[in-house]
Amino acid sequence: MNGPNIPNGVGRRGFLASAAAVAGTGLVAADRSTAAAAPAPGTTGVPFHGRHQAGILTPAQRATAFVSFDVTADGRRELADLLRTITDRARFLTAGGTPDPAGITAPPTDSGTLGPQLPADGLTVTVGAGASLFDHRYGLGDRRPRSLTAMPSFPDDDLDPDWCHGDLSVQFCAAGTDTVLHALRDVARHTRGGMQVRWRMDGFVSTPRPTGTPRNHLGFKDGTANPDTTDAREMDRLVWVGKANGEPAWATGGSYQVVRAIRMLVEFWDRVSLPEQERIFGRARDTGAPLDGRHETDTPKYAQDPLGDVIPLDSHIRKANPRTAATADQRILRRAYNYDRGMDSNGNLDMGLLFCCYQQDLARQFETVQKRLAGESLVDYVKPFGGGYFFALPGARDSADWLGRSLLA
Amino acid sequence: MPEPRPVPVSAPPGAAVRRRRVLLAGGAIVAVLAVAAGVLAVGGWTRSRPRQAAASASDGLRHTSVEVSPGGCGRGWTRPEPGKQVFDVRNTSGGAAEVFLTDAKTGAVYAEVEGLGPGAVRRMPVTLGSGSYAFKCVPDDADAVTGPTVRITGGTSTGPAAVPVTQQDLIPAALAYQKWIQARMADLVKRTDVLRAAVDRGDLAAARAAWLPAHLVYERMGAAYGTFGDADAAINGTTAGLSGGVRDAGFTGFHRIEYGLWHGESAHGLRGPADRLDKAVRALRDSWPQQRMNPADLGLRAHEILENTVQFELTGRTDYGSGTNLATARANLDGTEALLGYLRPLLKTRDTGLPELDSWLDRTRRTLDACEHGGRWTPLSALDRTQREKVNADLGGVVERLADVAVLTDIRRTA
Repeated sequence: MNGPNIPNGVGRRGFLASAAAVAGTGLVAADRSTAAAAPAPGTTGVPFHGRHQAGILTPAQRATAFVSFDVTADGRRELADLLRTITDRARFLTAGGTPDPAGITAPPTDSGTLGPQLPADGLTVTVGAGASLFDHRYGLGDRRPRSLTAMPSFPDDDLDPDWCHGDLSVQFCAAGTDTVLHALRDVARHTRGGMQVRWRMDGFVSTPRPTGTPRNHLGFKDGTANPDTTDAREMDRLVWVGKANGEPAWATGGSYQVVRAIRMLVEFWDRVSLPEQERIFGRARDTGAPLDGRHETDTPKYAQDPLGDVIPLDSHIRKANPRTAATADQRILRRAYNYDRGMDSNGNLDMGLLFCCYQQDLARQFETVQKRLAGESLVDYVKPFGGGYFFALPGARDSADWLGRSLLA
Repeated sequence: MPEPRPVPVSAPPGAAVRRRRVLLAGGAIVAVLAVAAGVLAVGGWTRSRPRQAAASASDGLRHTSVEVSPGGCGRGWTRPEPGKQVFDVRNTSGGAAEVFLTDAKTGAVYAEVEGLGPGAVRRMPVTLGSGSYAFKCVPDDADAVTGPTVRITGGTSTGPAAVPVTQQDLIPAALAYQKWIQARMADLVKRTDVLRAAVDRGDLAAARAAWLPAHLVYERMGAAYGTFGDADAAINGTTAGLSGGVRDAGFTGFHRIEYGLWHGESAHGLRGPADRLDKAVRALRDSWPQQRMNPADLGLRAHEILENTVQFELTGRTDYGSGTNLATARANLDGTEALLGYLRPLLKTRDTGLPELDSWLDRTRRTLDACEHGGRWTPLSALDRTQREKVNADLGGVVERLADVAVLTDIRRTA
């Protein structure tokens, strides 16, 4: 609905902003182009355009806000406008630059929380679609990705409906919390009326202590055995949906996103002996090494330990990734964050893991692993209570493209 | 109980903060024009010449130093270029001034800096395309000076601009709106009388039925941020700021009665509050003809009535038992539309987003109307998630666009 010839596809203020000028005396049409000047110096940007969205293979930035939205846009045309607006803002914010002056016609176009020049600050904005977006409202029923459903409740879950699902997911990640919150505020403002936050969880990546993979709230290194994101062929096998996966054509280049809000009962955990903690994970707490190795990156040798004398059969790492040829294609790309959100009603600390992972096939990967983890000894100390399944949309190729274009075409 | 104080038409807006003033604020509205010059005069009385050359600063934008003074308004803009850029405006005169960058043909303003103190330098970011432009320097105590016309050729986009609204422009709207309010007063008193009478005769069912119609008349009048000053606290106050909460002697008005009517209080206990409410609305009605609204406040009210709705009604903060927040929201929407009606002639030529605003107002009205069934309004807590998100989204869409109305109708003296 907007003019495709407008530079950067912008020229609108936000969701459902009329691009057309109204004639009248003294009226000067606004062309709020967001053509950016130089971003603040000393900050690096993650490229926004590409076959795939950023924020998936991008090494986890320090800060995140994971936000689930319900779409309130009325009909398919408005949904397209909403997705274009999100794309425009993401494109601008991830590049950084100088916000447009509004003159005397409107409040400032930017919140100012990052100063007059926006740094890129490693910001990524990653958009996913939930199963509910494919219900009757927008006529997308026949385009639902093959295994995208509402996230089921697994046997060890205790899901709170207020913390589950959503029509769209937006994962904001950046080096600084201020950049993340600035981006969330900007996107929410420009899409006001088109979507409402359903639930939101902020997270952070801890500093590596002392080195290597950062630790979770249980004191263990988390995510050591991730697939190699620099190996494009491996990513095509494990993360990206390709033409041969039986998915709708529009979905090529996307990825299934699973997010799980997992409470960690840290007081209880702190009352567990160290050997027990280490047997539960299968790794040494101090070094992160598998219990049969010396270094964090050592590969556990399960074949030499068939009865689990060293690394118990029900330890987390052994159940999650048995490292067999048969389970190699079940591996997921983890991109988890720690969260901390105050206190529980019983006076305990409310903290845990904002687990997030990406994969090519929900059933083959996350769900298979999750089912294998059922009953693992870790379940006594963690409680998944929220999250959802989403499909991270294919990337926006260039400045004329927008997230969801192929879905709504 | 203090009564609203009549005030004369207030001074044109000075440096005082425009927000959150009551409509009839008496002393609160005294414009704080005299910001101590010594504080602002960072550069003192230095008369250093503005640099002629346009320079690129660390923000990557083209910067041009421009002088603001009676004799040299706009001096320094010697090499006009299109694009996003920053003027660093510097007041080289001995008094504070307003600075505007205008369209030389239409007078539309692209950028402004208010209250530029002697010696002070401020940024004026703007995007300019083909056209002719001129700075206007408006000293606080003298006539406006227009600088030389500067022509720009080339450039694909130009930032938004509008012809400023003057106090004169707003006076007819203010008078008309004041009359509209006056016309609601009789209804307010009449319906409040019905409520009081029902309480008086101990008919609490009738009182509950009479409460909402009376309250909605008041809410339709656009009471936001205590529009009616002290009268508002007496008529529509909540327990905010009252140490004793719902038992605080200072808790009076519609919500006090609401609390009693929906919490099993006896008619006897409610007679005092009902009587006080009735007196308060009569006092408001009687004093209103002597009141003078500040025209500068019209645009703010048009925006802020529904900001209040979002803050207090959509959160249920003002619900004391009747569950009628959505009815209140609907009345607030009526009040906003009435006020917008009077501003419309000014907005038509200035607000490019007006058609879009209208469509959001329509949308919101339909959404809220769907929450009423045969005179019964759905309580917030009975909305399912989808319904509540829809209400929140629509009101959110409206206030986002109403914000422009407030900015556009700020009174600016450019002549």
